[in-house]
Amino acid sequence: MNLELIPLLIIALLMLSVGGAEVETAEFIMEGDHEMTDHRGALIVGDATVTVPVDADIPGPVFVIGGELTVEGSVTGDVTQLSGVLVVEDDAAIDGELLYVAGTERLAEGALIADRTTVDVTPAEPDPVAAYAPIVLTALLLALVGAVLTRRRPTLLENVATATREHAVVSLTVGGLLFVTFLSVFVFMAFTLVLIPVSILGLLVGLLTIAYGVIAWGYLVGQRLNLSEGGVATAIGVVLVVVLLQVVGRIPIVGDLLVVGVLLSGLGAVVLTFYGLRQFEPVRLPE
Amino acid sequence: MKLFELVRERQWTPVTGYLIYIAALTAGYYYNLTFVQLGLIDLGTRNVGMAPGDVSVVMGALALFTLVVAVVSGIVMDRRGWSTDLIVKFRLLFVVIAVQLALTIVAPSVSTSEQFVGWVVVTSLTLGLGIPVTFSFMIDFIPVRDRGYVAAIVAGLSFFVAALYPVEWRIEEFSAVMAIAMVPAVLVLGVLSVKRFAIVDALARQHEQFGVGRFCRPEAVRTTSVTFWGLVVLMFGVFFIDSLGFLRIIETPIYIYTSWQSPELDTRLFIAVMHVVGALAAGVLYTNFDRKWLFLWVFGLFAFTHLQYVFHLRFGPDSTPPLLLPMFYVLAVSFYTTLNFALWPDLSTPETVGTHTALGVGIAGWLATFASTALALYSEGVGLSLLAHLRYVNALALLFAVSLPVLLYVHRASVLARGDPAS
Repeated sequence: MNLELIPLLIIALLMLSVGGAEVETAEFIMEGDHEMTDHRGALIVGDATVTVPVDADIPGPVFVIGGELTVEGSVTGDVTQLSGVLVVEDDAAIDGELLYVAGTERLAEGALIADRTTVDVTPAEPDPVAAYAPIVLTALLLALVGAVLTRRRPTLLENVATATREHAVVSLTVGGLLFVTFLSVFVFMAFTLVLIPVSILGLLVGLLTIAYGVIAWGYLVGQRLNLSEGGVATAIGVVLVVVLLQVVGRIPIVGDLLVVGVLLSGLGAVVLTFYGLRQFEPVRLPE
Repeated sequence: MKLFELVRERQWTPVTGYLIYIAALTAGYYYNLTFVQLGLIDLGTRNVGMAPGDVSVVMGALALFTLVVAVVSGIVMDRRGWSTDLIVKFRLLFVVIAVQLALTIVAPSVSTSEQFVGWVVVTSLTLGLGIPVTFSFMIDFIPVRDRGYVAAIVAGLSFFVAALYPVEWRIEEFSAVMAIAMVPAVLVLGVLSVKRFAIVDALARQHEQFGVGRFCRPEAVRTTSVTFWGLVVLMFGVFFIDSLGFLRIIETPIYIYTSWQSPELDTRLFIAVMHVVGALAAGVLYTNFDRKWLFLWVFGLFAFTHLQYVFHLRFGPDSTPPLLLPMFYVLAVSFYTTLNFALWPDLSTPETVGTHTALGVGIAGWLATFASTALALYSEGVGLSLLAHLRYVNALALLFAVSLPVLLYVHRASVLARGDPAS
């Protein structure tokens, strides 16, 4: 599952809930090619290709959060596009409101759309400053937190960094298992609607924990710089790690695997050391 | 890993021990996974034409008989000192595999209920004897430090191959594959049984160094102890939950043809790889953490997996199930299988390994698997819907997932109440 879908899925479920639709009947299509001729309840299109064929008539609401939805027949309810591709062919119809937020939209001239609304969220023009600003800000923020932690509570980072360095396999294993399991649990929780706040909170805690792991990696790199001021060393180390992750992440497959490995081993080390509150010591086994 | 040190130091005799263990246990477990667990159902229902209910009764009998033979064999092995005699174990394994080869070849020809029952009885004898013999090889070949990783390799490899081949779960397919694979094993074991080799003599002495399990230091775990039987109950629960759910899932086309028996190689490869990933993760956890964490993960994973299946059945039974469902199933199965290979030898000394592995694998593995298989076939026979069936399985998984931390907490509290905070 594409990880970028998760926040969009939660937004779709929230909108679904606010709109009064029954989430129990909602169907989330995550992958594959599908032809929808008959359907009840809400439909959420994820990383899949979904076609509503000519003469088919499905109810709404429909949410496009990824993949591609092609309407050749008709949708009797609302369609909301948060991402992905929406194609409405000639003579195809959307009887409800088409709410466009983001993504690629291809509407044929002969398409029959009852009501169309566009929400302008971001300027379409590619702007390098805007593109890199979040990364720079994140790096600076993490560097600042790393510097403060190094000065005030160096043991915390020392414990996490030691676990990352000396127990890399264990950290990676625990980080990977936690990531896969809890990510699924939080997405699963979002489907219950009642637990959406818990789901969002869980995802936030997860992100912060991963960020903590990045700071610990920065601490490790900073130590290698041999600077007299520990806080500054950590801050520089964090910036270097973030830059390195960005650069390496551009290499297909191998780069992605490396980035995931670094982030997950950081996550695992943070959890293993109880956020740095104690050293991680594996059980002692006889020879 | 100790293995890397041995390779660096060019100590090829113990390295050979690793290879023998991995080859023997991987082949044995693959045989169990495919031929016995899946082939037997196909043989009974399709070839012989028995009703699922009747097959379930025969399988229940197979489980009980296998358990009895395993326990008797294990006790005899310990009392006569065979558990620490590698040559005797090779000879016993030779007999087991030679008979199993014959059983494997004749299996597709079994066509009547009487033949089927007779075939099952002889199979039980070989399986029962094979359990303490093969599982006790751990004390001869694998140092304590590496047991988690080696168990992971065995579990991962056997599941990896089973997930990819054979595609058709039919007795004829299983029989052909297994017979070809077993012939060289019979030949090698035949030679090792009659001729003495220096390397085998050296391997036979290794139990003096590796024999005492991880949980038997400084004090050996007694067969009658609460620790041992508590773990038997926990492992019984794990195996029971797995089989009870899995047997009904594989009967459901929308689940089985989008996962384990998918026509897409990518899907089956994904499942095979996830088995290896899960097993290796379990190996790392087993080696670095206390065993209770592994049990918590296993029960938690099973509970979550069945919850997902129940959720899918309730809200999207017609839609293609996401691969996430079998993925979590596979992770849980690889976790506990790894645990099963390493746990019983680690709860044993050379003097108790036959009995402990027989009781552990026999009760927790065989009895639980076949009892739940019989129950799954029965539930199918009485027309219990998949949703209702999985709801029971899920309830059981949740019960274990919640009970384990509660029991651990109560145990800790009782220790503190006795005024022994250090323990």
